[in-house]
Amino acid sequence: MVALTQALLNGLVLGLIYVAIAVGLTIVFGTLRLVNFAHGAFYAIGAYIGLVVAQNWGLGPALLAAPIGVALFAVLLDRVLLRPFYGKDVTSQILVTFGIALIVEETLRLIFGATTQQYPALAGLATSVSLGPFVYPAYRLLFAAGVIVMLVLVWLFMEKTDYGLIVRAGVRDRTMVQLLGGNIRQASTIVFALGAAIAGLVGAAASPIYSIAPGTGFAFLVPSFVVVVVGGLGSFWGAVLGGLLIGELQSLTTLAFAPAANVIIYLCMALVLLLRPQGLLGESEVIRQ
Amino acid sequence: MRVALLTLIGLALFPFFFHAIDGYAGLATQIVIVSIASIGFNFLLGYTGLLSYGHAMFYGSGGYVAALMLIRVMPQHPNLWLAVIGGTLAATALALLVGALAVRLYGIYFALLTLAFAQMIFFVVEQSQDWTNGDDGLQNFPTALLPVGPYTIDLGTPLPALALGPFGNLSDIKLWYVFAAVALLGVILGMRALTRSQFGEVLTAIRENEERSSLIGFNAAAYRLAAFAISGALTGLSGALRALYDGTVAVDAVGIDRSGSFVIYTIVGGVQTLFGPVIGTGLIMYLEAVLSAQISYWRLIEGVIFVAVIIFLPAGIVGTLTRKAAERARQRRALLAESLRARTGGPT
Repeated sequence: MVALTQALLNGLVLGLIYVAIAVGLTIVFGTLRLVNFAHGAFYAIGAYIGLVVAQNWGLGPALLAAPIGVALFAVLLDRVLLRPFYGKDVTSQILVTFGIALIVEETLRLIFGATTQQYPALAGLATSVSLGPFVYPAYRLLFAAGVIVMLVLVWLFMEKTDYGLIVRAGVRDRTMVQLLGGNIRQASTIVFALGAAIAGLVGAAASPIYSIAPGTGFAFLVPSFVVVVVGGLGSFWGAVLGGLLIGELQSLTTLAFAPAANVIIYLCMALVLLLRPQGLLGESEVIRQ
Repeated sequence: MRVALLTLIGLALFPFFFHAIDGYAGLATQIVIVSIASIGFNFLLGYTGLLSYGHAMFYGSGGYVAALMLIRVMPQHPNLWLAVIGGTLAATALALLVGALAVRLYGIYFALLTLAFAQMIFFVVEQSQDWTNGDDGLQNFPTALLPVGPYTIDLGTPLPALALGPFGNLSDIKLWYVFAAVALLGVILGMRALTRSQFGEVLTAIRENEERSSLIGFNAAAYRLAAFAISGALTGLSGALRALYDGTVAVDAVGIDRSGSFVIYTIVGGVQTLFGPVIGTGLIMYLEAVLSAQISYWRLIEGVIFVAVIIFLPAGIVGTLTRKAAERARQRRALLAESLRARTGGPT
């Protein structure tokens, strides 16, 4: 029972990381119709910025610097490299963003080395709280609460602001939004930076829990794509549902039969793709892209 | 005929070119073998428009099955033909299975489903310690021999000694290279015939307009499945040859980086071209062998080359060159026609 509760909590933490990365992927796809294989790179850059800042100034500044740094990088990427690819076919987008992911990963390897980095032992990180029959790291609970708050803010942005309105309308009918005078370009840049900032922030916040290595970004990106596909490409709630589902599935399978933990999520994605290709909460129009 | 002859000459001179630069003995053979997989990958991407992100599953299954056949099935009489055929058939069967599910999907969904299957196979291979020896992979399997008529050939045998000055010695080359080069030649000629056949034309038609092709009466899914199986078979053949040549096969053969490498080789060389995948494979593998020995950030350079090609040469190296050549030929013809008209006083 204790083991099961712990596994469920671990699954929640892991799932929330997936949700945060997947939300970025999905809103960027919604506005820009861009399939971004470089999204994992934002997570990794955030993790390394967070690490360097945390080593010198502590965790608080790290959580501030990571999203800002990553958002700036994303705007640069958007303006310099990606712009010509927005209108193009999905294949070209996958290829160029895959190339960018490769370059970022290798640059991180060049700067920080190939080995897994250890997070500095900051005060408070080791604190545990008692949850009835067992203790659980306080930072993980705080992390989960923080990610949930962040997701609520993103949801409010998407639902209550004009930018969010343009983004959601853009998912339905891009041309119509432009005809009606919605500045989809500007909204796109903001959404791209926002998605990147979320990934960067989560990268920095999750690194005391999970290790950091140059390949971490891609390692989180692939399950996050699974999440997006399971939930439905372009759907905010789909990303939330898919992320929690995949996180728990992975965590519970680790408990029950560890060798299958990595296979099960791909099996889950294959089943969803074959039975309901638009994803659990997705709209069927996007599947032929 | 001309293509066959030129390819033959190119393949015959290729390993000597290596020696003249710095002498990477086994690299020429490895490039020739991996090129077969890139050709298979290019057939799928170029003629159906489907980007597979999991071709390592075919490459790896070809390699593992070929090795397992030597270890488990015929350790006493290791037969290279049987091992290669077994590996290729296993990859083809896998391609038919995955393809039956995947060819209904497009774009990102197809890429992710192939990636998902490849990841499943990767973890199964990694976990099946008893069969695959996990992370360490299979080594020291019996050397497969090649029975040809009354002879039994060991492909590890070097060619007869013959000094060639700056090009080294003929005996630097093993029979393996000859065998692999003949296989590649066959694959290139087969691919040329296939893409010019009615089958290739129907595939192109489906890629350009699936709805119209279906209405004419072509079963688009069946054609795509056939293309996927051919692509998987060639990749499996390549994986089987590589495992037997290297004498080892490990989990990286089924890994995500391997899948990505076929993408990189093909795009750099030129998708939808006959020789692009071969040139791309040769260039990147050569640079990798030369540069990775000297600098640690080779893969960064590889990434930069890849992105630069996508942005500046979207048709790839070979695609851009052939397009330029076609353009020049067109201009020459136009000039000639104009001068003829001027001379005969015809309508301008």
